[in-house]
Amino acid sequence: MRARDLVQPFPVITPDTDAMEAAQAMAGKRLPGLIVCDDDAKPYTILPGSEVLRFLIPAYLQDDPALAASLDDDAADELCRRLTRSTVRDLLPRRQDLDELPVVDADATSLEVAAVMAQLRSPLVAVVQDERVIGAITVSRLLDHLLPGAPSLPEAPAL
Amino acid sequence: MIEVLTVAAFVAAYVLIATERIHRVAAALSGAAAMVVLGVVDAQVAFFSEKTGIDWNVIFLLLGMMVIVSVLKQTGVFDYVAIWAAKRTRGRPFATMVMLVTITAIASALLDNVTTVLLIAPVTLLVCDRLALAPVPFLIAEALASNIGGTATLIGDPPNIIIASRGGLSFNDFLINLAPIVVILMVVFIGLCRVLFRSAFTYDPDRVAALMALDEREVIRDRALLIRSGVVLVAVMIGFVAHSALHIEPSLVALLGAGALVALSKLDPPQFLEEVEWPTLVFFMGLFVMVGALVEVGVIGRLGELLTGAVGDRYLLASTGLLWGSAVLSAVIDNIPYVATVAPLVQTLVEAGGGSAQATPLWWALALGADLGGNATAVGASANVVVIGIAARNGHPISFWHFTRYGSVVAVVTIAISWFYLWLRYYT
Repeated sequence: MRARDLVQPFPVITPDTDAMEAAQAMAGKRLPGLIVCDDDAKPYTILPGSEVLRFLIPAYLQDDPALAASLDDDAADELCRRLTRSTVRDLLPRRQDLDELPVVDADATSLEVAAVMAQLRSPLVAVVQDERVIGAITVSRLLDHLLPGAPSLPEAPAL
Repeated sequence: MIEVLTVAAFVAAYVLIATERIHRVAAALSGAAAMVVLGVVDAQVAFFSEKTGIDWNVIFLLLGMMVIVSVLKQTGVFDYVAIWAAKRTRGRPFATMVMLVTITAIASALLDNVTTVLLIAPVTLLVCDRLALAPVPFLIAEALASNIGGTATLIGDPPNIIIASRGGLSFNDFLINLAPIVVILMVVFIGLCRVLFRSAFTYDPDRVAALMALDEREVIRDRALLIRSGVVLVAVMIGFVAHSALHIEPSLVALLGAGALVALSKLDPPQFLEEVEWPTLVFFMGLFVMVGALVEVGVIGRLGELLTGAVGDRYLLASTGLLWGSAVLSAVIDNIPYVATVAPLVQTLVEAGGGSAQATPLWWALALGADLGGNATAVGASANVVVIGIAARNGHPISFWHFTRYGSVVAVVTIAISWFYLWLRYYT
């Protein structure tokens, strides 16, 4: 199967998109990340959810996660408000290495897609045709194709 | 000829360590290897000789303390104490700084300086964030306090461990001779902080609630481990204080404490070895072999004789030179290789003076100069470098000159007071 058969429509943002809007889109649609395109609508990079968290959570809490336990919900809200004053550009890593962009051509095979995801440890890849983004493939969509008929596993009981 | 080659190899390795052209561990091991190739050092000289070999007391004391810190870190006790103390100040900025630097100094006296600032910096950033204060003055003050506090005890700073081992000095010798001056220096340092960082103390009453909302009890990760660790730490401190009477080396006290904590904590090896800095331990080994080679070929002995002749019985002059000279050198180069090299020379001077009340203070001059001199510049001490790195990662860059502007003032004032202390206590 080719990438064009697996691709799904995907929200596309630019570096100037409001960071809060981007994060809310990710949360509302339960997406692992978003595709960032430049002004010419060419893929620029992927914004994974983990980058949003890295922006929200100060480095000192990342160094010492146990310290976060001392903070209450008001403090958490205060941290999240940092998104309102920011754009997607602020969330992206400072040095953009375009060679590292998780992008595949629409003709790529499913194993090619898997290889790119594995190499770049990306939860999704953008699919392009004629240099235009036509959507994305998430890791769950890819695994669903590679490993059909997955058994239903028992879930942890809710408390 | 062999003496010249040995000195040349030593100087070459030393230059590499000082300039950091290659990693200091690689430089020290290369220096040690050169001594072996030159035929100066063999297994007997490197591993088993008390005079020229690797000082295993230093290595195992460091290892034991690193394991103890690894276990203590798992408890969250440092975060708890820092948040609890900051809340007692009810958000008043200067009082908060006093609390944090005091905790840093006390912790540094008991633990390695770098470990202390690594533990205190995140919680400092949190407190400053809550109070909407600029964290840079607080972080700089903590680095400076860690270097001052670490001077107080045998285990507070690696140079002190080397001095203790070379000079046959006990934990109590350090407590009696250095802890009193460190207490005075901390009082003066806090006064200096009030002046140096005066623009940082802007009080915002609206932010106090954000600080008071922090719940320090939540950061205790394992209450049972905290209690066990506390008991073992107290036992280790008692062991250090009583090690002379018990005829047990501080290194063995630390290893026994580490072993007890490992057994009681039931942590996995990656956890109880987390804070063990293997590169530092290997660096020490290479360094000891390099210095041991100089002793073996007689260079240190002859230098010692020259110094002994030059000093005569003018021990105040020698202490003054050692204090200020060590401070200047430690401001620009790592104080560990400096003290490892100079300690055998000081040993010769002290022995020539028959270990008299006038000669023995040379050890304290060396410790005060080497430990406090590190405050003078941004690269003078490992704690400074670590704090600057943490600040940069959190979006608060501290330039070399920014740090040095404050550090140099603190270094000059604390060393001047230390000189007065040495003069008053030992030479009047």
